Amino acid sequence: MRAIAALIVTAVVVVLLARYETQAPRTHDPDAAVGPVRTPRAIATPPPMRSGEGTRSFLGPAMTTPFSAIQVRAFFTGRRLTGIETVLLSGDGPHTEALNARAEPILRESALEAGGADVDVVSGATSTSRIWLDSLQGAIDKARRGR
Amino acid sequence: MGMPVTARVRDPAFDPAALDPAFAWLERVDALFSTYRPGSEIRRIDAGTLALADADPLVRGVLARCEALRRATAGAFDARAGGRLDPSGYVKGWALERAAALTGARELCLDGGGDLVLRGGPWRVGIRHPLRRDRLCSVLEVAGGAVATSATYERGQHILDPRTGRPPRGVLSVTVTGPELATADAYATAAFAMGAAGPAWTASLGGYEAMTVLEDGRVLSTSGYRGRPPLAARAAAA
Repeated sequence: MRAIAALIVTAVVVVLLARYETQAPRTHDPDAAVGPVRTPRAIATPPPMRSGEGTRSFLGPAMTTPFSAIQVRAFFTGRRLTGIETVLLSGDGPHTEALNARAEPILRESALEAGGADVDVVSGATSTSRIWLDSLQGAIDKARRGR
Repeated sequence: MGMPVTARVRDPAFDPAALDPAFAWLERVDALFSTYRPGSEIRRIDAGTLALADADPLVRGVLARCEALRRATAGAFDARAGGRLDPSGYVKGWALERAAALTGARELCLDGGGDLVLRGGPWRVGIRHPLRRDRLCSVLEVAGGAVATSATYERGQHILDPRTGRPPRGVLSVTVTGPELATADAYATAAFAMGAAGPAWTASLGGYEAMTVLEDGRVLSTSGYRGRPPLAARAAAA
């Protein structure tokens, strides 16, 4: 990850979770994580900054729908949520139908490709899906119970 | 609208405590605008128990901007698209922009459920593949600005075309880049709702660029969209 071996401070806060009776696990990494953040392929969401001393992780339950499966791991430094990693993300999306539409001449047309790349961040939500949040909630609950 | 918000700051001298006001701001926004909390101003306005004139100035400002966007998008962006008042599609980007400013950070990536406010950089941004969620379909470098993607990554989580009340056809995802996230997000939502007519509309937007993935596998980009295919994976796999 080119030139990003700078010091990185990462903070995660979970907000807008009003459907859960939970206080937002407020968060930042008090130790200012050091070193490059690696994003494994296109897997979404912030990777853990560091799984060093004082950081514990809790695996949420694998949540599935007929169309997808998601599981997350939450990292805590002390009582703070300091990272979320999506450890399972099924690759299948909705089935599609062909469409006959003409490209507008002012637009550039290309073919859809699927790949990976070394990126800092991914646009396009997975983390807003209900099962992603359910898995995260499971990991947070585990952390609260202390195991 | 439940989502995690992540802030990353590339600055060894940055004090993480400086993020506190930004997250406190997001919590305040949630209290005012949440569609889940019965006591939120949005819920009370929708229920008719709070007059718009008595609402918080922040709420009035947001609803005024939503109305302007509804007109600018010929109704494709509509805070009442689902029949109930829900300005979340604008609030999220607006709140994240202000949160970014509150951090004071110059090298910042603020990620709210896959919509991004970027300061400094360049940041390497991957656009999630609409059908294979563990892959990317485009990669671009962004040195300051915003990236928003509307898509149907999850069944049941869909955008309705406010004009028909039905999900749009023909489009898998729309990504919009530009200076400001709230507008980029609203444009992405509107273009998605427009279906196959969306790409032509995105080409008319000043200051914002877009990439639309159609159901038939074609990708239509505006002339200023600077993303490239994720070739790195191929090279790595070879």
